[in-house]
Amino acid sequence: MNPRRLLLRKMIYVGLMIPLVLLLAVLGMPAAPGAKGAPGSPGGVLARLREQHELSPTTLGDIDPTSETLKLATLGLRGVASTILWEKANNYKAKKDWTNLAATLEQLSKFQPNFVSVWRFQSWNLSYNVSVEFDDYRDRYHWVIRGLHYLDKGIRYNRNEAILVWDSAYFVQHKIGRSDERVQFRRLFKQDDDFHGSRPMARRDSWLVAKERFEDCLEVVDRGGRMRGSPLLYRSNPAMAQMGYAEAIEKEGTFGEVARREWKQAGDEWHAFGSIDLPRTGTETTMRLNDYEPRLEQRKALADQLDALEPGLRERLRQEKLAALTEEQRKALDTPPEKRSTRQMDLAAQAEASIKVDHNEQARRIRGENRRKALDLAKKIDAIDDELHSLRSSRGIVNFEYWRLRAAFEQEADTVDAREAIYRGQQALAETDLVAAKRSYEAGLLKWRQVLDRYPQLLADENTRSITVDDLGEAIDEYRRVLKLLDEPFPEQFVLQDVLDYHQANQ
Amino acid sequence: MVLESYHAVNFAEWIGPAAKVWLIALLALFVGFAVLRWLLAVIRQGPAAGTLSTMEFLLAAAADLVLLSPRRTLALAGLTIKESIRRRIVIVFAVFLILVAFAGWFLDPGSNQPARLYLSFVLTTTSYLVLLLAVFLSALSLPADIRNHTIHTVVTKPVRPSEIVLGRVLGFAAVGTVLLGLMAAISYVFVLRGLDHQHDFSAAAREQLAVLWREARRGDSTSGITVSTDRVQNHRHTVYFDPSQETVDEQGARRGAIRTDMENGHEHEIRYVVPVDGEPQFSCGPPENHLLARVPIYGKLRFKDRAGKDAEKGVNVGDEWTYRSYIQGGSLAAAIWTFENLREEQFPDGLPVEMTLGVFRTHKGDIEKGVPGSLSVRNPATGDEAHVRTFASREFQTDLQVIPLEFQTGDGRTINLFRDMVADGKLEIWLRCVAPHQYFGAGQADLYLRARDASFAMNFVKGFAGIWLQMVLITGFGVLFSTFLSGPIAILATGGALLGGLFSDFLYQLSQHKVYGGGPIEAMIRLVTQQNVVTELPPTAQTTVAQMLDKAAEQWMWLIWHMLPDFRVLSFSDHVAYGFDISWGLLALAICQTLAYVGPAFVLAYVFLKSRELAQ
Repeated sequence: MNPRRLLLRKMIYVGLMIPLVLLLAVLGMPAAPGAKGAPGSPGGVLARLREQHELSPTTLGDIDPTSETLKLATLGLRGVASTILWEKANNYKAKKDWTNLAATLEQLSKFQPNFVSVWRFQSWNLSYNVSVEFDDYRDRYHWVIRGLHYLDKGIRYNRNEAILVWDSAYFVQHKIGRSDERVQFRRLFKQDDDFHGSRPMARRDSWLVAKERFEDCLEVVDRGGRMRGSPLLYRSNPAMAQMGYAEAIEKEGTFGEVARREWKQAGDEWHAFGSIDLPRTGTETTMRLNDYEPRLEQRKALADQLDALEPGLRERLRQEKLAALTEEQRKALDTPPEKRSTRQMDLAAQAEASIKVDHNEQARRIRGENRRKALDLAKKIDAIDDELHSLRSSRGIVNFEYWRLRAAFEQEADTVDAREAIYRGQQALAETDLVAAKRSYEAGLLKWRQVLDRYPQLLADENTRSITVDDLGEAIDEYRRVLKLLDEPFPEQFVLQDVLDYHQANQ
Repeated sequence: MVLESYHAVNFAEWIGPAAKVWLIALLALFVGFAVLRWLLAVIRQGPAAGTLSTMEFLLAAAADLVLLSPRRTLALAGLTIKESIRRRIVIVFAVFLILVAFAGWFLDPGSNQPARLYLSFVLTTTSYLVLLLAVFLSALSLPADIRNHTIHTVVTKPVRPSEIVLGRVLGFAAVGTVLLGLMAAISYVFVLRGLDHQHDFSAAAREQLAVLWREARRGDSTSGITVSTDRVQNHRHTVYFDPSQETVDEQGARRGAIRTDMENGHEHEIRYVVPVDGEPQFSCGPPENHLLARVPIYGKLRFKDRAGKDAEKGVNVGDEWTYRSYIQGGSLAAAIWTFENLREEQFPDGLPVEMTLGVFRTHKGDIEKGVPGSLSVRNPATGDEAHVRTFASREFQTDLQVIPLEFQTGDGRTINLFRDMVADGKLEIWLRCVAPHQYFGAGQADLYLRARDASFAMNFVKGFAGIWLQMVLITGFGVLFSTFLSGPIAILATGGALLGGLFSDFLYQLSQHKVYGGGPIEAMIRLVTQQNVVTELPPTAQTTVAQMLDKAAEQWMWLIWHMLPDFRVLSFSDHVAYGFDISWGLLALAICQTLAYVGPAFVLAYVFLKSRELAQ
């Protein structure tokens, strides 16, 4: 190749490179802040896209120089390095080499600081899987906290990932507040100066710390952070943590005004949760769990209005439907439910469904000037029914009514006294002071009678009843044991006979 | 803390049979080579001339290998050193320095066992860097000289091919030795500095102590208090101040020296002076007992099952890792270690038994306390057993239980350990779990006698000696391959030998069809088709062909596994990091293994070089 052709070729290359470099410069120009409050430059297309999709490390969270250096040092083989480290971590875990496992997880987090699954999976690994490998509960606690620290680091690098904050709240609530070792863990947690720093002693309860973190999670969500799961559930968490706190302090022997205050706080927070606008599944609208009862009343008022448009129509329609039933169906319906055969039960169910008068049907049968009004009313009832259905379903998911009731009756002086008396009985039983134990149990059970009389709902529906019976059944069993140890018979006229009957039926 | 792959080696017993096998292999290799050479010569030159030329070759080879000139060999080694320096080996050193300088970024001194982490890091980093350097230097040198014809400046001189080969090996080894020496020194300082720290006391702790000392001065009886130090490197220590152990000088100042508890694998000594007026002065010493070289005496482990019958293993409690097997509590199950060659003079202060046990609970029990276990000693000759003590388990921690030379049993007997329990230097230690339905896990190296502690510095040097041996071995392989392969191919071959040696166990598993996902071809199919390693491949012709090819590959891998040295035998990183002494026997074994490969590699390299035209 002669020198002229060579030169020409070089010039062509340079000529092609210049526009490409310019294009790249325009596309990739970084964003620049403006001077003294003036609006800055948003940067090139790439910078804007990065900002828009939150891909820039600075928008994700803190930047760790080590992490950035390591990522660069792998020369594009970060994926391979991460895979090797995952493999190593699994191997160390299998061989119970905890020092190297922890070191490998640190390295792994530096390679994948913005990969949320790494933080979630490995923090769970430390707090749940590694901790239980240790026999000593102090070692277990140490590893639970290590998992939490790991998660905290992940939160710093990913400040928009609310799920990491939620995880940390859940770990504190569940692992420290609910695990088998909760008595020991909660004690160590209170004494853990390194974890709490300047947090006052009164706030060092696992439930309160979990509540703080659940609230932090909601803050992240409210400022646009990413969160997985249903708002219905994660918005209920702070109030539920407060319930857990109130319950836990009573189990540990704190009663009186303190316990009542905490239950009142829980009730207030539960009410506040019920007033939050929550998305209704499958619609663009929102709902509030507290609206269930007002909606029911609204529905009743509308139904009454519909009935008033043509009085007696509803009953007439019912009679028509009754008349249309087959002989067999009518016979099944007339038979008392306890005497129905299996076939009759099916037939009665069918008959009951078919004689039900629907408000749309009722509206359509109205003629004349009221017809339009009737159809409007039926439409409104339909809309309320839809909302009521969503509310019923959502309230069922979070057991809304039970917790509302629970917070209400637990803040009663009688309930707190009843729980305190049972607690004293348990203490006395543990110290084998049987006479004192008997006295305390009897006082406590009597107080419970008063509470149950004031709150008959506690034994009304099946769900609430089963929780109440479980709760009181334990105390009744203990009382029975005390009497047995004292060689005394169980009273024939027992003060909580209704609870006992349910309890025995469950057993 | 577990050193799973411990090496309880008796060098004297090992060397005889090992040397015999080695000599047989060497003889077979020699005979095979000689026959092949003769056959080739006969084909080329006819029977008489071929036989004569083979005889000549063998005689010349014997002369070349025996009549080596140290002066010429050293001169060639000197040239090799100069060449290595010209090839900028300093870069490797610079990389090492950079890694060490920034290691603090990713090494956590607040880890549970920081010493282990730091030692593992320096030993692993050094090992990889030096071995890589050895691969590149040794494999590229000769081919580059041959390509550039600079080899002719050497072969035209009156030097033997064997001297060229040996000179290269010695030269590269010398370069590596200097480099390794520097790295070892820097690593040692790095570990000491990285782990060094001191603690102080918070204002609250000082206030508590001030009250204690005021009471002590007033003469009020006080039993001392426990305070915590401040938090440094992610840990704090608990210290027990006992005024009754303090001395009071003429000025009335109280002085004391106490030890902290063990935390993160170390403890400190704290000296203090409390003047009559003024603030107490604390002087915290450096961390201690974290850089150890324990000299363990291992016993042989056997088990008894719950009915008290001999069992090969204990119970499997479902652990993925099968190193430990478990004995049932509240039954006749026991883990028994039999020790040999014990002498009373080795243990003037009693028998120090160190153990790291696994604990498996089938029910919660009392979680505030460890699971109770018992230690007994038994005379293997008479069967006489004596219960030494009951202890509470401490899982994943090294627990030291000293068996006194003389002790009383529960039934009132006085036992003299060596007189009553040791027979011909043999003693059995029985471990049992006392709590019913709870389990203790035990592995071979979980219980040993800590005879004494050797020097950590010397152990550190031995750890680096292991890396040095690996380097020499790789240099030998590199020079061997470079005598008949081109540079890049020689690098691949040497690198392959290194990888094969490092992952020798995996190679064996692969050759025995014990790895999930099949052999190399099957694994490739799975990779491309994104199938996981445990599902069966569809029974197609393609699968059958792939598996047949893998069968052939497995035979090759089995052969290669037999031929390659096991580099794990030369790696003592775990010993140093876990604080176990590398015995001289183990080191001697490693040296012998290195020589067993380097010697024949040198001879083969000589033969290949001599066969090449340029050296004739």
